[in-house]
Amino acid sequence: MITAAEVRALVKLVDELDYYQLLELQRGAPASGVKQAYYATSRKLHPDANRHLEGADREALGRIAKRVSEAYQVLRDQRRRQAYDAQLSAGTNRIPLAEADARADKQALDDYLGKTPNGRRFFGLARADLDRGDLASAARNLKMALTFEPTNEGFKKKAEEVRLALRNAPPGHVGPPPIGR
Amino acid sequence: MAEVAVGIDLGTSNSCVSIAKGRKVDVLANGYGERITASVVAFKEDGSVQVGNTARANLILDPHNTIASAKRLIGRYSFSEEVKKARAICAYKILDGPGHSVRIQIRDELYSLPEISAMVLKEMKSIAEAKLGQPVTKAVITVPAYFNDNQRQATKDAGKIAGLEVLRLLNEPTAAALAYGFGKGLTQKVAVYDFGGGTFDISILEIGKDVFEVLATCGDTYLGGDDFDDRVIDLLADEFVAKHGTNLRSDVYALEKLKVASEAAKRTLSVEEQAEIRIPDIARDAQGVALSIEHTLTAAEFERLVGDLVMRTFKVCDEALQQAGLVARDLDGVILVGGPTRLPLIRNAVRSYFQQEPRTDVDPDEVVAMGAAIHAAALVGDVVTEEAAGGGAFLLDVTPLSLRIGVAGGLAESVIERNTPVPIEQTRTFTTTQDNQERVQIRVHQGESRKADENELLGQFEFTGFKRAPRGQVRIDVTFEINADGILSVTAKDKETGKAASTTLSFSSGLSDGELDQILEADRTSRVQTEVSEDEEIAPAPPIAPKPAPVATKAPSPAPAAPKPASPAPRAKPKAAPSEPRVPATPKPAPAPTPPAAKAPAVIAIAPEEAAEPAIVEDTGTGLLVDGEGDSSLELETTQPRMVSPAPARAASPAHAAKPAPAPPAKPAAAAAAEEASADEPLDLVEDLDALAEAALVDEADLEGIEIEANRDPAQKPDLAGNAESLFDHGADLSRYHNDDE
Repeated sequence: MITAAEVRALVKLVDELDYYQLLELQRGAPASGVKQAYYATSRKLHPDANRHLEGADREALGRIAKRVSEAYQVLRDQRRRQAYDAQLSAGTNRIPLAEADARADKQALDDYLGKTPNGRRFFGLARADLDRGDLASAARNLKMALTFEPTNEGFKKKAEEVRLALRNAPPGHVGPPPIGR
Repeated sequence: MAEVAVGIDLGTSNSCVSIAKGRKVDVLANGYGERITASVVAFKEDGSVQVGNTARANLILDPHNTIASAKRLIGRYSFSEEVKKARAICAYKILDGPGHSVRIQIRDELYSLPEISAMVLKEMKSIAEAKLGQPVTKAVITVPAYFNDNQRQATKDAGKIAGLEVLRLLNEPTAAALAYGFGKGLTQKVAVYDFGGGTFDISILEIGKDVFEVLATCGDTYLGGDDFDDRVIDLLADEFVAKHGTNLRSDVYALEKLKVASEAAKRTLSVEEQAEIRIPDIARDAQGVALSIEHTLTAAEFERLVGDLVMRTFKVCDEALQQAGLVARDLDGVILVGGPTRLPLIRNAVRSYFQQEPRTDVDPDEVVAMGAAIHAAALVGDVVTEEAAGGGAFLLDVTPLSLRIGVAGGLAESVIERNTPVPIEQTRTFTTTQDNQERVQIRVHQGESRKADENELLGQFEFTGFKRAPRGQVRIDVTFEINADGILSVTAKDKETGKAASTTLSFSSGLSDGELDQILEADRTSRVQTEVSEDEEIAPAPPIAPKPAPVATKAPSPAPAAPKPASPAPRAKPKAAPSEPRVPATPKPAPAPTPPAAKAPAVIAIAPEEAAEPAIVEDTGTGLLVDGEGDSSLELETTQPRMVSPAPARAASPAHAAKPAPAPPAKPAAAAAAEEASADEPLDLVEDLDALAEAALVDEADLEGIEIEANRDPAQKPDLAGNAESLFDHGADLSRYHNDDE
């Protein structure tokens, strides 16, 4: 529930609020917190929970509610959220959903392939190493790939996988497999 | 007396009305004690209208003036597949109305679909009023989750025509989940498997302490229990042709009987291992000897007939789970909704797919109406109900289908993806493809395909009055807004000038505002004779003596129908029908699927022996009969302009200034410009993901300029030809249907 006066105040602010502020979330809040925040915000702002509001106030509330849905749709999805965060630090507090999706797709592709020529090259080599089971060489190539694209999530994830595999692998299996030579 | 609001499940085959008061939810029975009422509307010769199980008897007696499964047609364009199919199998006449809407001709009157559905709603309203002893003017009406915007609008109009203020259109699976979670204080993830008469929906919900969040909804609007009946009809008809050489499909009365028998057999198979189908004297051979159908339909045979349809539902379930980011074992419960889910065939398949026992503690025929009632009570402020529902007003629903806008190259750009929470508003910016372009055609599609013509076209409008500028320099903001009812509006706006040039499209329910007013004025729904009061006068309604269902079923049944079939002469029958309008009424309590005494199990139970008696007027499937007459032929002229304007528009172009939506006159230079433009369209040629992302980042997709349409010349410009072809797809389809009709 929200009062008419609160709605009037909030609707003036709504364009200035970013999605985190709308849902009253910390920027770095964990994914699990997003849903809780959305529920809590809905309890307060959902049109059905505010049947006492009429006319212009109701319309204003509708505007806010639509923005809340938008915020949730972006923040609930890790990849959309990443795209939004990047944009937010550049100073834009809204992202069209279609754009968030497109960026997320592009990001996924970049993470998979790499976006610099050298990043791509070393990541490709690392994958080939892994196919052959050569963990040590893969680790070296991933390290190289990461020097070109230090923020690439796909690279980081793969490097971590390899690191764990190396740690767990019996010493004999660290190097290139004997048959390969 | 406190304000009341009911919940109405307006189903394809059956409807149900319910009310929630405090912590209690009641299904309201009609005058015969039946808790569900057939969604069948019978127009009698004396001008009165009957709705419900009585009306269902009329399907066999007077198929030309009896309408079943109107929900399959509501909110559809006259060129849609579903309408085409109905034309082929319904005895009543389906005509084209204004703007490609559908009209049904009954004797010499035309009815729109919302009006037909309004008659069913009116009946449900009367039932509730009789039971509650007070006027009922507010309701929550349920719709399949997968209903598109036109279908929702039309349903809303139907409520209005019936004299109801529609508080909310609620998605059926969501309603079911509400009823399921009501008063339990659960925190669960559940799937609602809703297999109705005409549609299949699956919704995945997260039920919290005080919130019902829909995680995903998927569906198939072309799949339902009616399709099971159709398979059985085909089987029987094919056998009959093989045996006797007579095609029953061309005899409307025989086909109606087949339908009723097939449907009854399906119901029987919900409780029995096999169903005996017997239709005596369904046709005559050349010598005038009566021919009958006798067929024992076993569960195994039935499974072979419809197994693929059941499997199709699981493809949709896969999709829904994936959208929700879950796997089957994450679910805490599976709720079954809809009569066909009583079939062991479906229950077993659901059990093995979800790897758990589906919930059977809620009646699949009533659960939706109950959920609607709970929501209705919450919306009019019944605090107790709201609390018991765990703050049931809190439905966080999603839009079931992606909303798109038609762009160059026959593509459709998504503006709002499916399963986005509502209410929501999204804006995307588009530009022109032509220098000095004056107008663009804004075409709104709903569906999951990147190709425009593979989606449902919701509607379109022309946007003019923006600044004239070189191509690509105009910025047009197109805003899609979905309100909490799931109803869409679209606005186009010149980004620069902002003001004046803004058009809002509201979608077609098949009725313009003017027509709606006329319909409200005419108030034809007042002709609905509510069985409750009327039959009591004539023959004191048989008290609901809970009879042993199976036996009772057939006892009364021979009365209305058995005599009729004797003479296949089609014309004679409509006459006979009205003369005995009430006869079928009396027997009905028995076949009613849910006599109040023993709701759940009493369902179908037709004694296998007599199962096939055509008079067992239970539920009905889609309508069925071949109507030889081409209905739409005269409409073709009027239909063209609305679909895709080019052809007629060009004819009209001299008068372009005054016309609301004509294409501009072909400009001499435009042909050349068009070629360039088509080569230039960013989205047109883009195929790879990277480039796509790029294009979306600048957030510009070219709108189809109407010049392109006007100047298409397939012979000279191959590039453009492809473009134009897709633009004209709908036009082409239309003429195809037209030809079929002839």
